[in-house]
Amino acid sequence: MLTVEGLRVAYGDIEVVHGLDLEVAAGEAVALIGSNGAGKTAALRAVAGLEPGCSGRVRLAGEEITGLPAHALARRGLVYVPAERRLFGAMTVRENLVLGAHPERPDRDRLARVVELFPRLAERRSQPAGTLSGGEQQMVAVGRALMRRPRLLLLDEPSTGLAPVLVEQVYAAFARLREAEALTVLVAEQQVPAALQLADRAYVLEDGRIQLTGTADELTDDPRVRRAYLGLT
Amino acid sequence: MSGPLGLGPGGVVAPPASSLRAYLPIVVASVVLALVPLSLGGSRYFLSLGVHLLVVASYAVAFNLVFGSTSQLFLCQGALAGAAAYCSVILGNRYGLPLWLTIPAGVGLAALLGGGLSWVAVSRRLEVIYLGIVTLAFSLVFTNLLLGGRELTGGETGLVVDGGAGTWLRSPAAAYYLFLALLVGHLVVYRAIERSRLGWGFRALRDDEVAAALAGVDVARAKVTAGVVGAAMLGSVGATFAAHEGFVSPTTFAFGEVDVRVLVVLALGGVGTLLGPVVGAVVVTVVDELLRPLGQLRLTVYGVVLVVIFLGFRQGMVRSVRSLWMRAGTRAGPRTD
Repeated sequence: MLTVEGLRVAYGDIEVVHGLDLEVAAGEAVALIGSNGAGKTAALRAVAGLEPGCSGRVRLAGEEITGLPAHALARRGLVYVPAERRLFGAMTVRENLVLGAHPERPDRDRLARVVELFPRLAERRSQPAGTLSGGEQQMVAVGRALMRRPRLLLLDEPSTGLAPVLVEQVYAAFARLREAEALTVLVAEQQVPAALQLADRAYVLEDGRIQLTGTADELTDDPRVRRAYLGLT
Repeated sequence: MSGPLGLGPGGVVAPPASSLRAYLPIVVASVVLALVPLSLGGSRYFLSLGVHLLVVASYAVAFNLVFGSTSQLFLCQGALAGAAAYCSVILGNRYGLPLWLTIPAGVGLAALLGGGLSWVAVSRRLEVIYLGIVTLAFSLVFTNLLLGGRELTGGETGLVVDGGAGTWLRSPAAAYYLFLALLVGHLVVYRAIERSRLGWGFRALRDDEVAAALAGVDVARAKVTAGVVGAAMLGSVGATFAAHEGFVSPTTFAFGEVDVRVLVVLALGGVGTLLGPVVGAVVVTVVDELLRPLGQLRLTVYGVVLVVIFLGFRQGMVRSVRSLWMRAGTRAGPRTD
C-alpha cells in the first residue's frame, strides 16, 4: 500500500531522517518505534505531505505521491493523525467528524458507523471538541480520519498525553478497528509495548536511520529491543 | 447544540441548516433598509447619506469575507475599489465604452489584483500581520500611481465621468435602491458561500490551517477564492459608486476614507457575522451624523464613543445582542411547550 524509498527530512541545515526505506502492505499494521527525537514524527509528517522540503520517493498503492500537499494526500485516502490531534477546538465533535470527509458530504451511515466504533463520541457529539479529555480527543481525531474510509492511516504517537490505562484503551480500540475496518495502519510510537502488540511488523528508528526491522514477535523477543525499549532483560 | 440562532461555541458561528432561516435575516434587513427613504420623505441629503451607508456596508461585507472568513487582513479595500472605479471611468472616457462593459472590466481587474495578493500571501506563507503590511504598501503604491499618472488619472483633481449626467444613476433615490440591491447581493453571496463546502473549508482553516489541510481542505485555494470574490465585491461597489457620483478622485478611495471606516464598521458590527457589516454601518453613520454639530470636537467625541462601544461590545454588536437575547431566554425559566 505504501512504499517509501530514501526519504530524507531536514529542518534547515539539520537533517533528521537520513534515507528511510519502509513498506506497508495492504491490511497490515506496521509500527515505527524509537525514542523521543529519533525522527519518527518527521518521517510521518513527510509522508503526509507536511514537509515540503523532504526528498525521496513515496508511493501509495503504486501511485507516485512524492511532493503532493497534505490536502491532496488526505483526499487520496492517506490520512495523518498528528500527535497533538489538531482538532477544530471551537467546533462540535459532530462538526469535526463531518469535516473529516471534506470536500465530500459524509453520508449518514458512515457517521453512524464511526460513532458506533467510539460510542463515547455519541454522548459528546454536540460538545466543542476543545473541551474533551485527552482520550476523547484522540477518539475524535481517529474518528475524523475514519470518516474518509482511509486507505492508509498514519498515527503519530497516539499515546501522547494519555494515562497508561487510557493508552491501553486507545490501543484496544485500534485493534478492534483493524478487525472491523480492515485498516492499513502505520503507527509511530515510543510506547513500544503497546505498539508491538498492535502491529504485525515494526521498524526501529534511531537517529534518523532504521536500525532493526522484523515481525512484532521477533522484535519483542530481540534482546536489544527488550533492553532499550521494553525495560526487560 | 449550536444554539437556536446558530451561535456556535467559542464564537465560531455555524450557519443555520434550513435555507429559509439562513436567508431570512437578509430579507428582514433589506425590507427595513428599503423603507428608510420613505420615512425620511425623500430628502436629498439623507438619501446621499443613505447611499454612503450602503456603500460602506457593502465594502464591509467584502472585508468580512476576506478577513472574517479566511483571516486575510486586506488593508487595501479602498485601493481595490478604486482600481475598479478608475478602470471603469478611464475605459468609458477614453474609448466611449458603455457602463455595462466598463464596470465588469473594473470588477475583473479588482478580482485579479485581490486574487494576486492572496496568492502572494499563501505562497509566501505570510501571516496575518505581514499580509496587512503588504496590502497597506499596495494601497500606498496605488495612491501614488493615481497622483503620479496625471495623464491617465487626472492626478489629485481626479476624473469627471463623461457620460451619465441627468440619468437615473445620478438620482439619489434610484441610486439608494441600486446600492441596496448591491448590498443584498453581497449578503446573499456571503451566506451562500458560508453554507457551501467552501464555507466549511473557511471555518476549518480559520480554526487551524494544518488541521484543515489534514482534513482535505485545500487551504491555498480557499484563501485565493476568498481574495478574488472579496475583491470583486469591492470593485463592483467602487465602480458603481464612481458612475453614480460622476466623479473619481484619490480621496474617494483613500485608506483613511475607506479602509479605516470599514475596519471600524466591521469590528463594531461583529467580524464573521452575516449582518455585522450592516449593523456597524448604521451605527457608525448615525453616530457620525449626531456628532456633526460639534464641529471640531466631533472627532474627539467620536473617538471616545468608539472606545466605549468597543469596550462594551468587544465581540461586535451582533453577537453581544444575540447573547443578551439568549440569556434573557434562559432566565425566563424552563419553557413548558
